[in-house]
Formats: sequence, structure tokens, C-alpha cells
Amino acid sequence: MNDFDELIGADVTGAERERLRGVHDMLVQAGPPAELPDSLHNAPRPSEVGALRKQSTPRKLALLVAAIIVLGITFSIGFSTGQKHAAPPSVAQDIALNGTAAAPRAQATLAVLPEVAGNSQMNLSVRGLPQVSPPEYYDVWLVRKGEPWGMCGEFVVSRPTRSLTLTLNAPYSLETGDTWIVTRHKFGESGVGTTVLQPRGLRPSVVPDI
Amino acid sequence: MRKTESEMEVALDMPRMRVVPPPVDEAPEDGPSDAALLALVANADREAFELLYHRYVRSVFGLALRRLRDRAHAEEVTQEVFTAVWRSAESYRPERGSAGGWLYTVARNAILDRLRRNSRADTTYEMPELASPEGGPDEQVEQAQTAWRVHRALEELNPNERQVIELAYWSGLSQSEVANYLGQPLGTVKTRTRSALARLAEVLEGEVQ
Repeated sequence: MNDFDELIGADVTGAERERLRGVHDMLVQAGPPAELPDSLHNAPRPSEVGALRKQSTPRKLALLVAAIIVLGITFSIGFSTGQKHAAPPSVAQDIALNGTAAAPRAQATLAVLPEVAGNSQMNLSVRGLPQVSPPEYYDVWLVRKGEPWGMCGEFVVSRPTRSLTLTLNAPYSLETGDTWIVTRHKFGESGVGTTVLQPRGLRPSVVPDI
Repeated sequence: MRKTESEMEVALDMPRMRVVPPPVDEAPEDGPSDAALLALVANADREAFELLYHRYVRSVFGLALRRLRDRAHAEEVTQEVFTAVWRSAESYRPERGSAGGWLYTVARNAILDRLRRNSRADTTYEMPELASPEGGPDEQVEQAQTAWRVHRALEELNPNERQVIELAYWSGLSQSEVANYLGQPLGTVKTRTRSALARLAEVLEGEVQ
């Protein structure tokens, strides 16, 4: 590294010299910027950041339609049975998800945090999933009474990675017995896709079309 | 492929010298402020997000690397930080502080969260503060903040200014060797270095808003 006096010479004096010396000292303390790995040369795509609120309009519409259908079904069932919902879990829960035959190496842990104002934040730590890029996505589904009930977010694995940790949201009132699965789904195709992660003991037969 | 879990290490993995590109004639870019970009990101503006990303990705990755000392973890945390920025840009309030400070807080929280998770997952994981040869925690925090500010400020320089700073400070070349490398007279290199330092001083004194 060059000495400050060698860099600046004798031309600059007084307050300006001290000002530049301050910057010089900061550069020395900071050290060189890190060399960026290839994976960080480009900003992540919005689909990779997976925020539901920022999805494209067609996808938003599709989700809105799906949500209306789900709400309609739920209302019908609730109205016909008059069944009261159980109280939502009051404590956070950790759910272990195991890879299915479609992703035998995959493993995940879903930490469901206590509900706040109708939203339950979920932290999904997942590893071993095959790479998937748009228009294919991994979808996280809330499963209620054995059926995919509401989508809680989507993500991609567009580059090899050891593990991913994602923050998702369940904007639903949770019920006892609720659980989650992760499916692999191609945008535009019907159904919820192929289940790649599910809780131990969840019978595949109770999850239709996956 | 990245390292496998069994290859994970806590070894020192500090920032490496960047490959310095050849000189480029490019004017400095006076784009929108960071605060303005965050406001646009809050409205899902993809271009603003990319601009903000390129302004800060080195600072975020550098900070993560300093604290986590593992490139794979630092990469993941950097992606998490920008995911958080995309999702929560609307929570930024300019009246409470600079956009750079807000981003630093987002990055620091993500890194601390990763450190906590790592220490929970592996009880033998040694917190970097305890293993570091670089002084106590306070000193490290100060160094990290200085690096954050300086690396962010470097992004405000035009490529020629940035190159001459990188060569002068981190290439190991003397000023004469830098002049030889660039094919420029020594006086020109000194003048350019001085003007680059002055520009950095301006940026750092103004603290990017």
C-alpha cells in the first residue's frame, strides 16, 4: 500500500490535506471490497424473492380467484356443518418435512411463529431440492383436512445451493391439525403440482392430485 | 458446486482483491438517491431494485463475509438481505435516518439471525468475535461500519476513479507502477488519485441519503 504522502504529494496542504488523510485512513481500515461470487452478480428476480404482494397481475388474479374459490368452499362447508373451528395454536411450532419420491434428498423445517393480527409468519429452511426456475416454482401449501387449502408462498431454486431459508406468511386462522406441504408446480398448469416435501406420516392418498 | 456441509469451515475467509478492469471512459452517474430508490422499490419497481442492489451488494456481501467467515453462508445471507429489502422497503422512513443506515440495519439483522441459527444448529460453532485476531467486538463493529461506508462510497466513483483507488490501495503497486500499468504519466495518476479521494470525501461527508 502506498504511503499517504506519496499518494498526495506536497501540493495539498492544510484542512484539505487532513480531509483527504481522513479518507485515506478509512480506506486502509476498510480493506478491499469482497470479490462477488457469480451468484450475486445479478439482482434476484422478483419470483425468487417470492413476495406474494409483488407478484405479477395475472398471477395475482389467479391467486385471487383461487382464494375466492377456497373461501367459497370453506364457507359452504362451515355453513352446512355448523362446525366450530378449533382455537388456533397459541405457540410456535416446528414441523419437519421429508422429501417424497420426487425429491428423496430434500429435507425442510417449517417454523410457524405465533399469529399476529391474523398472519402467521413461517420460516422455511430447506435443503436438497432440485433446481427449479420459472416458469416452474415450488409452492408452499397449507394442508387442512388432508387437502391443499391455501398457498403460503412460492420460491425457486435457480442455482445450486446447500440450503435456503425463506420467510413466508400464512394469512389464515390456523386450526388444530393444519400442516404444510411443498409442491413443484409449473405455472399455467392445473392442480397444485407434485408434492416434494411433506410431514412424516401424512398419507399421500389424502393429498389429491399430487 | 458449493461446499458440502461436511466441508464447511470456520476458517478465515476475508475479502479478496478484485481483478481490476482496464480503464473505461465513463462519466460518474448521478442517479436517484438511495432513499428515492427505496420509495420506488416499495412500489415494486424492478429497475430501482436492481440499481439499489448494485449499489449495495458488495457492501452487504463484504459485511456478511466479515462476520460469518464463510462464503456460502455470506452468499445466502446477501440474498436474504435483498429479499428483505424487496419485501419491506415500504417500512423505510426517511425522517428516521439515511437509506444506507436502514440497509445496514437490515443486513446486520440478517447476519445476526444467521449467526444465531448457526450457533443453535452446531453447538461447536465458534462465534467469530471470539476467534477473531482483529481485536475486540467494538473494534470489529467499527471496522465493519467503516468498510460498509467506504465500499458503498466507492460505488459512487466513476470506473476510472475507482480503479485508481483500488490500484493505489489494494494492488500492492507503487504509484510509479500504477502509472506504468495504466500507461499514464505519474503526475496524471497522482492527480486522479487526489481527485478520487476528494470525491470519496464528499460522498462520505454527505453520507448517501
